[in-house]
Amino acid sequence: MDSSDVNTGGTPTQGVPPQPQPQPQQPLIPAQRGAEPSGADAQGAPTASEERVWRAGRLEPMPIRPLPKAPPSIHILGPTVFLVALGVGMGESYMWPRLVLIFGPEIRWLFLIGVSLQAVVMLEMSRYAMATGESIFFGAARVFKPLMWFFFITAILVYIWPGHLSAGASALERVTGIPWQASAVTGMLLVGVVFTLAKVIYSLLENVLSICIGVLVVGTSVVAALVGNLADLSSTITGMFAFGYLPEEAVSPIWFPILVGSIAFAGPSGMQQMWYTLHLRDKGAGMGAHIPRIRGLRHADDQESMPSRGFMFDTENPDEMAKWKGWRRWVTFDALVLFWGITMLVTISFTVLAQASARLDPGVTTVIRDGERDAALDAMAGSFAAAGSPIFGTVFFCFIALIGLNATLGLFDSFSRGQADMTYFFVPGAKRFSISKLYGFFLWGLIAFGIGILLFGPADGPAAILDVLAFLSTFAMGAYCVVLLLVNNLTLPKPIRPGLIPNAIIGFAAVFYLGMLFYSLFAFGVVVS
Amino acid sequence: MTAPVSAPHSRTSSIAWYAEVALPGVAVGAVAGLFAAGVAALAGLPAALALTIAASLGGPLALFGGAYCVLLATGRFRVGTVAPVALYWMVCFPLARLIEEFAAAQVLGNRTVLGEPLWSFLVFQAMLSVGFAIGFLWLHERLAPHWLMRIRPRNPVAADLAERYLEHMNTMVRRRPSAAAARRRSST
Repeated sequence: MDSSDVNTGGTPTQGVPPQPQPQPQQPLIPAQRGAEPSGADAQGAPTASEERVWRAGRLEPMPIRPLPKAPPSIHILGPTVFLVALGVGMGESYMWPRLVLIFGPEIRWLFLIGVSLQAVVMLEMSRYAMATGESIFFGAARVFKPLMWFFFITAILVYIWPGHLSAGASALERVTGIPWQASAVTGMLLVGVVFTLAKVIYSLLENVLSICIGVLVVGTSVVAALVGNLADLSSTITGMFAFGYLPEEAVSPIWFPILVGSIAFAGPSGMQQMWYTLHLRDKGAGMGAHIPRIRGLRHADDQESMPSRGFMFDTENPDEMAKWKGWRRWVTFDALVLFWGITMLVTISFTVLAQASARLDPGVTTVIRDGERDAALDAMAGSFAAAGSPIFGTVFFCFIALIGLNATLGLFDSFSRGQADMTYFFVPGAKRFSISKLYGFFLWGLIAFGIGILLFGPADGPAAILDVLAFLSTFAMGAYCVVLLLVNNLTLPKPIRPGLIPNAIIGFAAVFYLGMLFYSLFAFGVVVS
Repeated sequence: MTAPVSAPHSRTSSIAWYAEVALPGVAVGAVAGLFAAGVAALAGLPAALALTIAASLGGPLALFGGAYCVLLATGRFRVGTVAPVALYWMVCFPLARLIEEFAAAQVLGNRTVLGEPLWSFLVFQAMLSVGFAIGFLWLHERLAPHWLMRIRPRNPVAADLAERYLEHMNTMVRRRPSAAAARRRSST
């Protein structure tokens, strides 16, 4: 694979003897040296006959276009809302508070590592997407097409099951009495109709999720402030820095797989980080500004025609590089302040709640220690309720229901977005449908299958393959770290490739996720729980 | 930045304009109080206590939320920035909680208001206020622009603040003419 071959008019320059070239008006990206720059204007804009391109892999080269100016780095609303909506889930609200009750707040150092790794992954995922306007799936295909098909199939196997709905809908049933199947099916249909009628799905979803996340963050803060105290909060925070603490029980066959799952699910898990690249594109971040946005089915015909590949900017132009640095600052604020900060805040609030209940009733840990996931949810809420006031149990279920709603909206959109993207660009003949129509097809397919399964089958998928799905979900995280290293280091121009430290962290993340997964598998015969 | 309203309008109309601009912040504060009260009611706590939480927590939070909007309108805060808002709520949130604790103690007939030392209570509330501040800002930034655009024809304070939001959004907007033109040229 040659990632540095740039030519004009899409004609490969490999093997062509260097020709004397006129000095271009603007500096070109490194591999453009020696290529014919005519046909490009001073801004790198193409003409009808020839245009400057960046060639990455064997797929269609990317034309050079101007990079839009970056917005101010300090902002509050952006594509992070999707990662927060997907990332603040069962791990933050249930799994980690449970681990704290059983092993003490010192176990939270592993959560700190998990979320911090995810923040770096998020930054590196954004690099390729913002530089090209292509998703990371497209980037993977530029490296090696089967890599992309692996994620296409994994997404279907892991995310087609509506199991993520059941926890939220069950929690709603506890609070309101509405049967969970009814609320889950109604919720799915509602999501389908709303997304179908939306003019631009991204904008609608960013609004809805922002309101939900806002209420969740405000609500958890207020309730934790009502029931917790300084000692709960202090131990929760100081526990994050007890590096190396790992009680013997935590590496037992019962708890180690749970610990692995909890670390993997600290923040966005599975393929959620990959889908984030599509949300960045629809937000118009970096070169995503050159790509049309996905519309609801009702407005699918209004969509501008989708280019068959992304674009690259002129990385040897200092002005363009200054804009690029602005975009990096913008996304760094997203990753560190909004994603890392909010995920941390929500999980701290939940852990304070859990610690408050344990302080009032030390028997809580015994009840929680024994439960299966669903039983443990009940046990946790029940024990919260028993610990001084019924408020704990209700609060817990209210928040789980809200988290379930966020996850449903986020997952349905992300899955459909990811599959539509891969189908549009890589399934022969798919381009005769617009990407908005393909999005609608995957969305309604997911809803129809989900309703069928909820009414007639096991929500989490067949029990026999549950372990395979859990394995695949965590394996995807290690795999996308490897893919990220390949894509960023092979397909991007040198000036915007990641440095040594980000590469080392992503490499560590790959070893971390895959190492723990396989250790769990081979040492205990159990994948993540 | 100076206060936007310097024309010789009556004091009453000026207060009314600021009050109108304050509504999104008031709403978010009130929602936070109602959320706590609603959870308390669902959990089966006495109605009197739930109402007390709604009034004594929601009331001050609404008031402080509204005051934030006024400070924003007068240029004391910049649109969309996080740190100043976090500092603001670091003072206001503990104060609101203190009022709520006092009111709840009165309703329950407790002689002691706090179960822990005052400094410990205030530090704890101040630390959690960071989460509240981000949630508040997150919700406010969703509600305020729509509201301001609606009332700006009749409210000069809102018009000025809406203008600042528009400037802010212009820097965030993704579809620039050059990008759109380039896309049209290159579409397949």
